[in-house]
Amino acid sequence: MTAGFWRQVMAVVERDLVRERRTGDVLWVTIPFGAIALLLIPLAVGTDALLLSQIGPGMYWVIVMLFGVLVAVGKASSETLPQQDAAALAGLDPAAGFVGRSTSATMLLLAFEVVVGVVAVGLYNLTLIGIPWLIVTLVIVAVGLALLGTLTGAIVNSTSAGTALVPLLVAPLSVPLLLGATQAYDGLRFGHSILSWVLLMAAVVLIVAMIGVLTARPLQET
Amino acid sequence: MQTQARVRRWPWVAIGLSLATAFTLSMMSPADSVQGDLVRIMYVHVPSAWLAYLAFFVTFIGSVAYLLTRDLRWDRIAAASAEIGVYFTGLAISLGMIWAKPTWGVWWTWDARLTLTAIMFFVYLGYLALRRTTEDPVLRAGRASVLGVLGAIQIPLVHFSVIWWRTLHQPPSIIRPDGPAIQDPLMLVALIGGVVAFTIVYVSLMVKRIELIHLEDRKSAVESAIERPVAGEAVTAPKLGASS
Amino acid sequence: MSQWGWVAFAYTVAYGSLFVFATSIAIRIRSTRRSIGETE
Repeated sequence: MTAGFWRQVMAVVERDLVRERRTGDVLWVTIPFGAIALLLIPLAVGTDALLLSQIGPGMYWVIVMLFGVLVAVGKASSETLPQQDAAALAGLDPAAGFVGRSTSATMLLLAFEVVVGVVAVGLYNLTLIGIPWLIVTLVIVAVGLALLGTLTGAIVNSTSAGTALVPLLVAPLSVPLLLGATQAYDGLRFGHSILSWVLLMAAVVLIVAMIGVLTARPLQET
Repeated sequence: MQTQARVRRWPWVAIGLSLATAFTLSMMSPADSVQGDLVRIMYVHVPSAWLAYLAFFVTFIGSVAYLLTRDLRWDRIAAASAEIGVYFTGLAISLGMIWAKPTWGVWWTWDARLTLTAIMFFVYLGYLALRRTTEDPVLRAGRASVLGVLGAIQIPLVHFSVIWWRTLHQPPSIIRPDGPAIQDPLMLVALIGGVVAFTIVYVSLMVKRIELIHLEDRKSAVESAIERPVAGEAVTAPKLGASS
Repeated sequence: MSQWGWVAFAYTVAYGSLFVFATSIAIRIRSTRRSIGETE
């Protein structure tokens, strides 16, 4: 991977972040969506503080998996076919495109996780223990989910496909991230070792990254 | 003409014969000392689950082979196996639930195997949903095969995560749905017979399902050839004198 | 429900759905063959 490759990646990241600044899709739509989901849950299951503190962390991570992935989808599907062709003709390495889109999706997902996380801590009265490792978990989940969402978005790559198709495809594959994140939170609270879960999530990240880079060109050529 | 029809019919005959055999074996086997006659449900549940995983594996192989060779025949194999696999995964889950209710009093036990099978069901379903969004066979094959590879490679990770999760939160020992111990050789015969029979059913269904895909591809090729207007029609001379 | 009742339920679901699934493939093959036969 040459210097040119990384320059292309940065160009893609910049393009995506500029687009986000212009449309405000994540900031004004997806994040509020995640936040209101957290609000709806106690309306449905009851406001007992003990219950909420027990289900809160799990609910938060489920919302990250289901709604957060929309952050990554937006990047891939907002490129129309002519725009993709133009990028290809301009010499954009498809793998660089994938890495770039995944990187911008990671950053936006992190923002999603932090803002929605603050809402969760507030509404569900959550205690945060082991903050450094929690941050590690947040980052790994953001990277993993961004990779999954970007790759799946590239596979679907269709404006006519239903809006729920990418979340549907990502949901079962995100289970290791979901279990890893929830077990990490529990482990940190109760003093267990969470290394195996962190390693599992890291494995997901590595494998999806590899598949994404290797299939970037075949996907573009279809 | 007659031989052609007879050749086309062998999969159905094979299905009928193997299922009849499997049914006979499961009725002939004795009741279990602990689970009683409920154990007979195992003789359809286990083969279904075995096929669910086999079909998934075949879809994975077909997807990889397509990506390497770009031969659409591999994509047809992957697609046919996915549809048959969704069916058997759904069947395995349903039969698992029918077995669980009288045995443990609940429809769903959240044990690792059942949960994993349910997750796999949705991976398959997503694969089929993706195929439905694309009409062009080559485009569809390319996308589906990447998803097939992604899904299959993720499954071991899902497998480990679910098993670790269950071992951390061990369910009460009453609800530990391991299969009953095989005490009688006839039980083993019924079980293995079921697995073999269902595998024959799978192969036969694959042959027919691939034939159907083939026919559907031919049909859409024929249809698009008919609907496509002649190229020259797009260019006509301007009509002079008409109101404009 | 008795144990044999559950077994019957399970076997009806298993063999019945298999029959429906296999038949649907057969029917679709026949109708697709017919529609190609008509236009070819």
